[in-house]
Amino acid sequence: MCRQTKEKCAHNAGAVYCGLIYAFLFLPIVVIVINSFNATNTKPYLTWKGFTLDWYGKLFQNSALLDSFQNTLFIAVTSTLLSTFIGTLAAVGMYKYKFRGKNIIDGLLYIPVVIPEIVLGISLLTLFTNTNIPRGLLSLVLAHTTFCIPFVIFNIRARLDGYDKSIEEASMDLGANRLTTFLRITLPVLAPGIGGGALLAFTLSIDDVIVSYFTNGLTMTFPLKVMESIKSGVSPDVNALSTLILLATMVIVILTQSNLLKNLRKVLKRQS
Amino acid sequence: MKKKQVVSILLTFVLMVGGLTACGSSNSNTASKGSLNIYVWTEYVPDSVIQNFENETGIKVNVSTYSTNEDMLAKVKSEKSGTFDIVQPSDYMVEQMIGQGMLQKLDQSAMTNKKNIGSAFLNRSYDPNNQYSMPYLGGVAAIAVNTSKIKDNITSYADLFNSKYKNTMVALDDYRAVIGMAARSMEMSMNETNDAKLAKIKAQTLKLKDNIKVYDSDSPKSELISGDCTLGYCWNAEIALAMQENPAIKIVYPKEGAYEFLDNWCITKGAKNAANANKFINYMMKVETAKAVSEEYPYLQPNKAAVALLGEKYKNNKAENIPEDVIRNGEFLKNLDTATLAKYNAIWTELKK
Amino acid sequence: MIKQRFRSNAGPALVMIGPVVLWLAFFVAIPLIYVLVMSFCGIDKNYNVIFRFTMGNYRRMFDIDYVEIYGQSILIAFFSTVICLVLGYPFSFLIARTFRSKKTILYMMVIIPFWTNSLIRLYGWRTFLGTNGLLNKLLLTLHITSEPVQFLFNRSATILGMAYVLFPFMVLPLYTAIEKLDQAQLEASADLGAHFRSTFLHIMLPQTASGIFSGCIMVFIPCLGYFFVSDILGGGNADVIGNLIQRQFQSGNNWPLGAALSIILIVITLLLVKLYQKCGGDMQSLGV
Repeated sequence: MCRQTKEKCAHNAGAVYCGLIYAFLFLPIVVIVINSFNATNTKPYLTWKGFTLDWYGKLFQNSALLDSFQNTLFIAVTSTLLSTFIGTLAAVGMYKYKFRGKNIIDGLLYIPVVIPEIVLGISLLTLFTNTNIPRGLLSLVLAHTTFCIPFVIFNIRARLDGYDKSIEEASMDLGANRLTTFLRITLPVLAPGIGGGALLAFTLSIDDVIVSYFTNGLTMTFPLKVMESIKSGVSPDVNALSTLILLATMVIVILTQSNLLKNLRKVLKRQS
Repeated sequence: MKKKQVVSILLTFVLMVGGLTACGSSNSNTASKGSLNIYVWTEYVPDSVIQNFENETGIKVNVSTYSTNEDMLAKVKSEKSGTFDIVQPSDYMVEQMIGQGMLQKLDQSAMTNKKNIGSAFLNRSYDPNNQYSMPYLGGVAAIAVNTSKIKDNITSYADLFNSKYKNTMVALDDYRAVIGMAARSMEMSMNETNDAKLAKIKAQTLKLKDNIKVYDSDSPKSELISGDCTLGYCWNAEIALAMQENPAIKIVYPKEGAYEFLDNWCITKGAKNAANANKFINYMMKVETAKAVSEEYPYLQPNKAAVALLGEKYKNNKAENIPEDVIRNGEFLKNLDTATLAKYNAIWTELKK
Repeated sequence: MIKQRFRSNAGPALVMIGPVVLWLAFFVAIPLIYVLVMSFCGIDKNYNVIFRFTMGNYRRMFDIDYVEIYGQSILIAFFSTVICLVLGYPFSFLIARTFRSKKTILYMMVIIPFWTNSLIRLYGWRTFLGTNGLLNKLLLTLHITSEPVQFLFNRSATILGMAYVLFPFMVLPLYTAIEKLDQAQLEASADLGAHFRSTFLHIMLPQTASGIFSGCIMVFIPCLGYFFVSDILGGGNADVIGNLIQRQFQSGNNWPLGAALSIILIVITLLLVKLYQKCGGDMQSLGV
């Protein structure tokens, strides 16, 4: 059989297994990318009629689609900022101060995380209907922030676990007031947790379907626009936009993770 | 390090938004004449027609879509009144919405193109003198057969219940349509309220469970064209469009009499853009507009002036030009009381589980 | 001069905790209470909610057809969870341990599909698995089958869709838990001559149990509510509780019934979370 050692066999089997799983994860994405080049013009856009780049051009004339993507980004950025702000304050506050009712707040925080989104969606819908809050960008931002806050708080709490309060006390002994201590000492330590929470909040917001479905009124978000397109046949310009988003995501990930930036900085430092 | 990553990611997205905004806005008309929010059936109003209206008037049109009358009613009720300016209820739904005070009267002086509409479609019982509605398109829910896969001679709704068509059918995702069809297959009314008869209708409806493969009210032609389904209970224009893509697909009008409908333009009470709405409805009744609509979605066209322009291919196409006897034998839906509707909903839940 | 330190913590505490408390009260607590109240109400002939106490909706819950749908939802959720766990555990182990030198990039490659819209990925599956889709065309060309296989529009397709969309939610907690495994213990166990099976059962499984439970909960519960998966891949044939609820807020026009269904769903969720806690699950790991 294999002349290699048993370990190496296992190692290769493992690599094959991982490859298969990745293939499973990326398969529909490959289908989407391929279909973005489909030269079909008739609904439901299923049969392959040749290769073309036209749809990437037509994409920029589809103002409804672009508007929906713009809305999604706006909502995501706003909800992330809002939830990060509220969540950071809350996480630090809950860690530092003891008070009654902490368990109740804890429980309330778990609700948006654990319950199925549809329950959150319909309860927010009934709230907006009864309080006459206008359905649209406002209601969507409020809804998205609601389910983002707990995730931000949990991420920061994970960071706070080993946190040493004595630095803060030292800072205040040296004359800094609470606000300065918070901004210059506490926040930098928590930064990775805040960053992780914000990233998670952003991810959840741009892909949210169910909560947006009930609270959107007239405003289209990108996932809802895709849902609408699926009903009548997804035209390849939606595929084109998804492909572009995917490319942008991969570029960001590669840039932030790779040594490319580090090497670039080294080179620039050496030159200066 | 992580903070820099987050900042860079956020910056990139902000740039993306900026870029897309620039691209998007350079292409859209800078509309200063106001806007219009329309809520219409999916696959019913061509994009070209709306684009034309925007170009002609400078009014920005926001389109949202729905799949059934009941969905539309639910959404309009849950939103602030006047969120949607224009809706497209079917015959019985117009009556229901008038009864609930959800519609406002049309500005008859703005309806200059009303003369194009055939008199048979005006002044219907659900809205005498067309105070609240103008007809848009009508049609029936007929049967589609992929003759290359199904060789039997299908002539009626009753044929659809044959167990040999297991897992082959695409049906409308509309409980009144499907339960009504089951009723008609036994020559009962689609608006039955009698408990004994409802029990029989329930038993008949549940026979469809194994036969229906996909529920789709929006674009059943997709399932027929892709071959996922070889039998269908769909809107006639959807069948006509499927026939264009695959000539093996044929339309069958059920001999018991089909489920017939007539959809209308209405303006909601409290609509913020009522003037634009009236303009839009009048525009839709123009001859050129109606012709463009029929070319894309070949339903029953009430605009007789447009029909005259449609040509031989339309006249000879049984799926588009619905035969007179089919229109005469069709049954329209009527409003039912909430208790009866709850029973219909229960049958539907049991069918779909 | 020693600066006077504030004795009272009330002010800062209020500033920090106040916003989140108000937010949770207004956007989580109050709406849910209202939903609970509404579940005991009925509707009038115009489908408006009337505030007269009735148990009618809950009596409806125990009709046989509803109970069958709960059963079907739990079945679908169960199989999706099992698939995610069985496929996800070895996968997480491989990327966290075996290939740990590249684990960051491998981990990112799991997240990247997550950043593409989930609906369009499901549509990609629909295109791929359709009667005239790529997979069937391949099978027919290679003469593996003579007729196209009906992959779509049934319960199995829905289970596949749920497992696909929720796979990252299983991998993330598993990855975190497996990363924390004590390598020294694993090596010691192997050195002492233990079979891989014993090492797995006695060391790995107990130590990663919290990750397993957390992943299972994060997959199982959403499955009950994801109505769009059963719409896109199930063709409307494999209704889950989410579909029932959605229908009451749409064509059913019966908000109180939808509210009652939501309460039942919350009860099922709470029972599962209680079970999770009883099995030693850590609530902290649920959100990360």
